[in-house]
Amino acid sequence: MKRFMAAAALVVFLALPATVCLAGQSNTGCGLGSVIFKGQEGLLFQVLAVTTNGTFGNQTFGITSGTLNCAQPSRFASNERINTYVSENMDNLANDIARGQGEYLNTLAVLMDVPEGSRTAFYTTLQGNFSRIYTSSSVTSTDVVRNIEALM
Amino acid sequence: MRIGPGRGYRCSACCISFFLFYCNLFLPGDLQAHAQDLPYLEEVLGRARIQRLHEDRYWHVLMHYEKNMFGVKSRIDDPKFFLAPDGKTNPASELDATIRAFFAPAEDASTSPVCRFAARYEWISQRLNLDPARLPVAGCTPFRDFMDRLKPESATLVFPMAHLNSPASMYGHTLIIVEAAKASKLLAHSISYSAVTGETFGPAFAVKSMIGLYPGYFSVLPYYAKLQEYSDVDHRDIWEYPLNLSEAEIRRMMLHVHELDSIASDYYFFDENCSFLLFTLLEAARPTVALTEKVHGWVIPLDSIRMIRDQGLVSDAVYRPSRTTKIRHLASCLPENGQDWALELATSDTGDSPSADRTLSLREQRMTLDLASEYLQYLYTKDEVPVETYQGRLLRILQARSRLGTSPEDEIPKIQPPVQPDRGHRSNRVAFGLGYAGDSWFSEFRIRPAYHHLMDSDDGYVEGAHLVFADVILRYHARDDKVMLEGLDLIDICSLSPRDRFFHPVSWKITTGFTRVERGGEERPMVYEVNPGVGLSMKTETLGLLYVMAEAGLLAGGVLEDNYSAGAGGSAGFVRSFHGFCKLHGSVRDLYYGLGDGFNAFEASLQQSFFLGPDRSVSLGIARRKTDSCYHTEATLMGNLFF
Repeated sequence: MKRFMAAAALVVFLALPATVCLAGQSNTGCGLGSVIFKGQEGLLFQVLAVTTNGTFGNQTFGITSGTLNCAQPSRFASNERINTYVSENMDNLANDIARGQGEYLNTLAVLMDVPEGSRTAFYTTLQGNFSRIYTSSSVTSTDVVRNIEALM
Repeated sequence: MRIGPGRGYRCSACCISFFLFYCNLFLPGDLQAHAQDLPYLEEVLGRARIQRLHEDRYWHVLMHYEKNMFGVKSRIDDPKFFLAPDGKTNPASELDATIRAFFAPAEDASTSPVCRFAARYEWISQRLNLDPARLPVAGCTPFRDFMDRLKPESATLVFPMAHLNSPASMYGHTLIIVEAAKASKLLAHSISYSAVTGETFGPAFAVKSMIGLYPGYFSVLPYYAKLQEYSDVDHRDIWEYPLNLSEAEIRRMMLHVHELDSIASDYYFFDENCSFLLFTLLEAARPTVALTEKVHGWVIPLDSIRMIRDQGLVSDAVYRPSRTTKIRHLASCLPENGQDWALELATSDTGDSPSADRTLSLREQRMTLDLASEYLQYLYTKDEVPVETYQGRLLRILQARSRLGTSPEDEIPKIQPPVQPDRGHRSNRVAFGLGYAGDSWFSEFRIRPAYHHLMDSDDGYVEGAHLVFADVILRYHARDDKVMLEGLDLIDICSLSPRDRFFHPVSWKITTGFTRVERGGEERPMVYEVNPGVGLSMKTETLGLLYVMAEAGLLAGGVLEDNYSAGAGGSAGFVRSFHGFCKLHGSVRDLYYGLGDGFNAFEASLQQSFFLGPDRSVSLGIARRKTDSCYHTEATLMGNLFF
């Protein structure tokens, strides 16, 4: 069966133009857009990438931004989990803070030990101060944690 | 856990980057002897022999032993996994060597066999009632640290569905996530098995992965990282099946994961794949589970969920829509002008916020901005917006959104979860039926091992996606009392992915295999066909999915003049589903073979399927074909069984 399927797959590859282009991953530091990885274009790539469940090239998700180049905020400096979480979920967290609700925001509240009873107030505060948290388009995750900390 | 070459990912939050190197177990004899409690070792070995512990099923689970003609053989290929030279095939000598290793003095507890093979140690010490005080190493700090970080109290089986516009990904992937109590699901850790390679040439990768030329490893990553990969970048909806494992069972599973850290087992795409390796984890968790022995030939991730369900480990699933699904849903809840606003906000830096549009209610304004930010993020993952533009635009949309307050509960209608994947049809299919062609009757038999046909029920699958491997068609003609191979579709993939205001996918197909062609004579000769196509499709209320495709055709065979025909043409059709009860597909296709053996082939066909439960259907087909100037009509009635 394995051999047969391998042969069958070969036939498909021969039937399609055999070029695969793998774009490099972007690594822009710790700001917005840093941890969203580009999808691959091209039908051949899709067939190959998704049929094989493998981890070649971009198929594997890599967390390349992280907090490596980011300064540590003061109060939560010891809390590596918060910094890592915010830096690795910058975009989805920003979505949720702007909406005042959502799974990414709940998770932040869990990590920051915000008691259940005060969460709604916490979310409203963050939403109301969105522009103070996300001060510019080049805001970094460190800034975000520091700005949230200042509001608490 | 395992960091592959050139992939540059960091196991940040989980940080279980304990690279445990193989310790020097075979110290010179005199060095070992003085520190060992030899009488106790002999006593323990004796007890193990009396209990015939090496025959215990759990020992075979932990060692991944599989029965064969000569006895057993472990599926693990990494020599680091075995302590006895013949451990791969000899459970008794491996057990003996393992127990001896636990008694050997160790320089560093964290690299000692007790720690390195923590699952075996816990089980053996429990079964043989070992006294830790009489062993050189009493416990395993790295495993304790690993558990402290993960605090796993519940486990979930995760199945990402097909990739947008890529039916081949229906094959899918499965992983397990473990969660700490009272934490958010995003902070769970995913345990996933895959092939590891620096190979960047796709075809080489695909073929090598099928014949087991790559090592496979488990990796542990935060679940949010996996969600970004599947949900945000690949646009796959995800199903989460809570596993009813107790904490003790999860602990056993984690011990085994820990033991398999940086141990390679050759990755085979068809059988020893992600799903198969998860079976071994579940068997390690709950010894009464029997999954690996039920695998014959291949295991498809979706089928693996049914097998796990049948073992009583999962039942209901939670649906997690991908970003694409959320975008489609939000758009469907908005009037046209709201959708236009969202598009404009995501694609240009001019224009006002939708609050400027007095015709939109506050609720609609909120949804418009939500749609705009989701869509902008989608465009960014598709590389259609440069990062600086993206950052500025996203911030502008989100600032506007933050001023509109929080949506009350139920303001946005919930996304209705589709049919759970394990409740759809099974992936093997046999079909029996009758047909009439030319001027005679025939009976037909078809069998295919995988996976989903355009005419099969979409319950549990992605609409418009078609992936068929190795479909064999046999016909028995009563007239000349002969069974003939009518066709063999080696690979048949079709993706009808509808275009709309937000998404502009290209629909495509590729079919290759053996087929019969009309070339004038009595016998319809068999040729090898390659038939790719590319086109567009859209969704309509009345006719369902409408599509048009430009197609190319290449036929090869000794019966053709110059041994081949090559040409081009097109096809068009519609696929309409009626409330999961039946499906209708009408199509026309015209191909002109201009090169080699030249001819024209036209076909108009109508197919209909009636679904009688998830695993049974009846299909009717009628086709009118014209080859040059000869007309043929063919009708079939088939009963399909999925198993």
